[in-house]
Amino acid sequence: MGNDSYRVTRRIFGVGVFGAGVVASSLAGIAPARAQGTPKRGGTLVATWGGGEPQACYVPAGGGSSPTFSSSKLFERLGNRTMEGKFQGELAESWKPSADFKSYTIKIRKGVKFHDGKDMTVDDVVYSISEIWKKYAAASALTDFAGVAAPDAETVVMTFNTPIPEFFFSSLLCGNVNYIVPKHVYAGSDPVTNPANNAPIGTGPWKFKEWVRGSHFEYVKHDAYWRKDMPYMDRLIIRYVRDPAGRAAAMEAGDIHIGVFNPVAPPDIKRLTGTGKFVATPKGYEESVWSTTLECNMRNPIFAKREVRQAMFHAVDRSFIAKTVYYGYARPGTSPIYSPNKEFFTADTYKTGFDPKKAAALLDAAGFPKKADGKRFAVNLLAAGWFTENGKIGAYVKQALEDVGIAVNLSVPDRPTSIKRIYTDYDFDMAISNQANPSEPVPSTTQYFTTDGIKKGVPFRNANGYSNPEVDALVAKIKVETDPAKRKELVFQFEKIITVEAPLLPLVELESITVASTKVQNHSNDPNYLAATWYDIWLAS
Amino acid sequence: MQRLELPRFEFIGRFARNRGALIGALLILVVALMALLGPLFFPVDPLRIVGQPELWPGEDPDFPLGTDSLGRDMLSMIVHGARATLLIGLFASAVATVIGVGVGATAGYFGGWIDEIAMRAAELFQTIPNLIFVLTIVVILGSTLTNIVIAIGVVSWTPIARMTRAEFLSLRDREFVQACRAMGMGDLKIIVTEILPNALPPVIVLSSLVVAGAILFESAVSFLGLGDPNVASWGRLVGDGRLLIRSSWYICAIPGVAIMITVLCLNLIGDGLNDALNPKLRDR
Amino acid sequence: MAGELASSTASPRITRGSSRRVAALRLLRRRLIQAVPLMLGVVVINFVLIQLAPGSFLELMTAENQVSDPATIALLRKTYGLDDPVWLQLLKYIWALMRFDFGFSYRQNIPVIDAISVHLPATLLLMISSITLALAVGIAAGVVASMKVRTVWDTLVSVVAMFFFAAPGFWLGIMLIVLFSVKLGWLPVGGMATIGGASSGFAAVLDILHHLLLPTLALGLFYAAVYTRVMRSSMLEVAQLDFVRTARAKGLSRNRVTISHVLRNALLPVVTILGVQMGTVLAGSVVIESVFSWPGVGSLLFDSVSSRNYPVVLGIMVLGSLMVIAANIAVDLVYMWLDPRIEIR
Repeated sequence: MGNDSYRVTRRIFGVGVFGAGVVASSLAGIAPARAQGTPKRGGTLVATWGGGEPQACYVPAGGGSSPTFSSSKLFERLGNRTMEGKFQGELAESWKPSADFKSYTIKIRKGVKFHDGKDMTVDDVVYSISEIWKKYAAASALTDFAGVAAPDAETVVMTFNTPIPEFFFSSLLCGNVNYIVPKHVYAGSDPVTNPANNAPIGTGPWKFKEWVRGSHFEYVKHDAYWRKDMPYMDRLIIRYVRDPAGRAAAMEAGDIHIGVFNPVAPPDIKRLTGTGKFVATPKGYEESVWSTTLECNMRNPIFAKREVRQAMFHAVDRSFIAKTVYYGYARPGTSPIYSPNKEFFTADTYKTGFDPKKAAALLDAAGFPKKADGKRFAVNLLAAGWFTENGKIGAYVKQALEDVGIAVNLSVPDRPTSIKRIYTDYDFDMAISNQANPSEPVPSTTQYFTTDGIKKGVPFRNANGYSNPEVDALVAKIKVETDPAKRKELVFQFEKIITVEAPLLPLVELESITVASTKVQNHSNDPNYLAATWYDIWLAS
Repeated sequence: MQRLELPRFEFIGRFARNRGALIGALLILVVALMALLGPLFFPVDPLRIVGQPELWPGEDPDFPLGTDSLGRDMLSMIVHGARATLLIGLFASAVATVIGVGVGATAGYFGGWIDEIAMRAAELFQTIPNLIFVLTIVVILGSTLTNIVIAIGVVSWTPIARMTRAEFLSLRDREFVQACRAMGMGDLKIIVTEILPNALPPVIVLSSLVVAGAILFESAVSFLGLGDPNVASWGRLVGDGRLLIRSSWYICAIPGVAIMITVLCLNLIGDGLNDALNPKLRDR
Repeated sequence: MAGELASSTASPRITRGSSRRVAALRLLRRRLIQAVPLMLGVVVINFVLIQLAPGSFLELMTAENQVSDPATIALLRKTYGLDDPVWLQLLKYIWALMRFDFGFSYRQNIPVIDAISVHLPATLLLMISSITLALAVGIAAGVVASMKVRTVWDTLVSVVAMFFFAAPGFWLGIMLIVLFSVKLGWLPVGGMATIGGASSGFAAVLDILHHLLLPTLALGLFYAAVYTRVMRSSMLEVAQLDFVRTARAKGLSRNRVTISHVLRNALLPVVTILGVQMGTVLAGSVVIESVFSWPGVGSLLFDSVSSRNYPVVLGIMVLGSLMVIAANIAVDLVYMWLDPRIEIR
């Protein structure tokens, strides 16, 4: 297929964190466009992304990157995070914790109107949190949620059963699809099948006008938008093109102005930027860093010894994957917390670098010497086929493991079968999968490693069955530690344990790219730009 | 009914008179030899990364046909692919022939409601868009070689069944069959030992064409990324090269040529067999 | 080829005195009645096939939406009738189909029929243009080859036909893209219309034709090769028949005989094969659509298969088979029109 329509994304909460320019980029000429001169008003902006049309314009639980992209222009969240890493209010004006950190008081912005002209009130906020966030959008983050109430017309109070760190709470308010939705549209219906999901009514800068299936969304300026005189442009078109070559051609012809999340194939990135009419930037993905991971199924007794797991990673040349499979748009991963995460990443971890000799020695020592046929043991390697790159990595990892004497049977099932085999049936010895993580590690990162992350049938959790009381206790502490400095230390400790234990580690951290015409101003200015509202974008003439 | 008693030299002579068929047979022989002996010349797993990615054919003498996007040897993949491709074609054709002959023979021999049901079933399978059915089967049951072979067989049997039925219809009331019945021979024995050998020639022609069709099906399945990833398949190579047509279109071109030549030769052989086995159709 | 000729569903019989219209209507009625068990079979086979799938669409949907709450899952199961036994689900589906209700696409949150009908025109356009191309080229080439039988022209036509008969359509498509889009830059690499181009009027039609050319060639040339071969042999065969010899003996010119007598009769096998292959053309368009990003049913099928959106997959299968049956009936009628002596058994 070569088709990347349905990208997996984890719609945990999380959006936030800074980390401008941490990425060692192999690109040239990539400053994100800041406002140059006076913004021009009016006109139509045509945007696309590196995947296909969404299943619905808005999916309450997220539904992947595609509906997140299309819905995030229409809805807004309570908070937002700047490129510099500061949290700021969007539909909330401010929020602050109680002394025991078990409740948070949120001041709601006044004068916000939905696209249908109705005022946004605290009732909408209470409804969204209790009915949408708790049940769909942020279910895995809100495990200790106790309730939400509106004591007056400007205030909403969220209460929890345990202390909640402020960073965690702020990240929650900025979460991917943790939107404020209109109660008068959703109350009394099944939010998943509500027809409004295909013609959403939100508070965002853009108002839904039309969806021509198979082609595009047309959004128009929301005249009653609460940010005065915004947005600058009159229309926003989100155009879907099935293949990267078609996107490149459309951009070259000037028909598409901006494409987020790897809209064109790597060779075309260089060709487009080479004309001087386009810029390519890795900025705007700091809060949604993608990685390709390798994990060992602990249910297989071979992997009970951590030396064997470490050996698997030592056998693989991650630089080769970054260079050849991703054409340099990736970097070797070292820790379960990714390097753009300025809050919690540490380089001071156990390193499983490329060292086949060490891998062989570890395997010998673990009691798996080469047998007469030159093999130590055989494994089933599953590469999740939702990205074509995973299949290629699978082919390479197969060969790398064979080089240290492990027989490998590779399978590259498509998306549904991969999800089922990895996350429901646990039918693999080793698996290649992907994650996209925000800065806040709980629960999105930690649930890959904790015992309570083992949830049969729920994808993008702990599928390898790793269960370590030490890690569980540590994560429990991270969850409730309200002192930022202490919390950071705990996360560092978590990273050290996981890198030594190696049940699952990133092979590479992916460098997502936005390609835009040089005419487009004010883009890539949010750490999760795909899911930003794009209220301030404009097009120079 | 005399067809099989055709003297052998006459059969070969008729076949060889069709020059296209002769060329086809020789080329297929080369492909088959490649499939058999290839592993001797390229003992390494063809899916191994052995060099720089995207080397053009001729750029590096070690890789006469270049390398793919990961740095795997194109020549080695083509040679090993021949094996997979031919095997899939043959086995799928075998599956189709077994089903087709079974259904067709039963329908033609017994007639009546059995015939009615069998022919309705054939019509049914002809109605369902074949490749879509193959894709759905493969997706649902998993992308293994066995499943692909079965799926292709399941959609390819109808012409064979119709042909077999037609032959059986014309043969079942001949004197020699009636003689066997009179001698008290069982239906199954009559079908297998008496009628089938005489009905086979046109079926063989058709089966050889089904091999060609099966190769095309397999290549399409693999091209769409639903093939078996442990097998070097020509169709998958074309699919892999698809995103690189701007820089390295040879990755698509070479395996496609291999598919085309193989299918072409099989079709030529089919024509030749047709000439040799069905003399009355010779001048078509 | 031999097999397809032999498998012709139509076998000729001379009618006695019934007028052609009555015969046509009778044929239509009989065919429609026959279509009912056929459709039922199609539905049952595909329904059963989809039941064999490991991993239901519900699992996928909940997985995708990260719903792990058992109560929610139970509610969804109930909503979609998954707790019913399979046979009841099947009966319900057939009952719904009778009211032309193809079910509901949960993933897209719209009825299946709406999801399909958005994509259907593009596929029909591609199929019709490809068949038209195949018929025009195939008949012309076949006639030329048969009239110049055993000359260089005949050989040339046969060799070219052999090649297109053997080339995989998807590969041919990619090679056409390499040549005409990447190297020469004459034609677009894919899609059905220029993004941001004219949306109506003559310019838009021209734009679509521009995009249609390569996919039509990729899909149509294979069938053109088929028809060329069939047409050639059929022309040669008909030319041997008595009535042609008689016509020629009467002193009619060779070309006149060819056009008025041979061609018309020689078309019959082509028409038969066209009917037989209708399903193949539809299936072939799925692959070609994927090569050219053509926004047809093929792309919908692929997305639906890869998201296990079974109601849509089933809907496409059933609708596709329905189209094939309809096309076959149409072909039978054409057959009858071409040869007034013939009624179809």
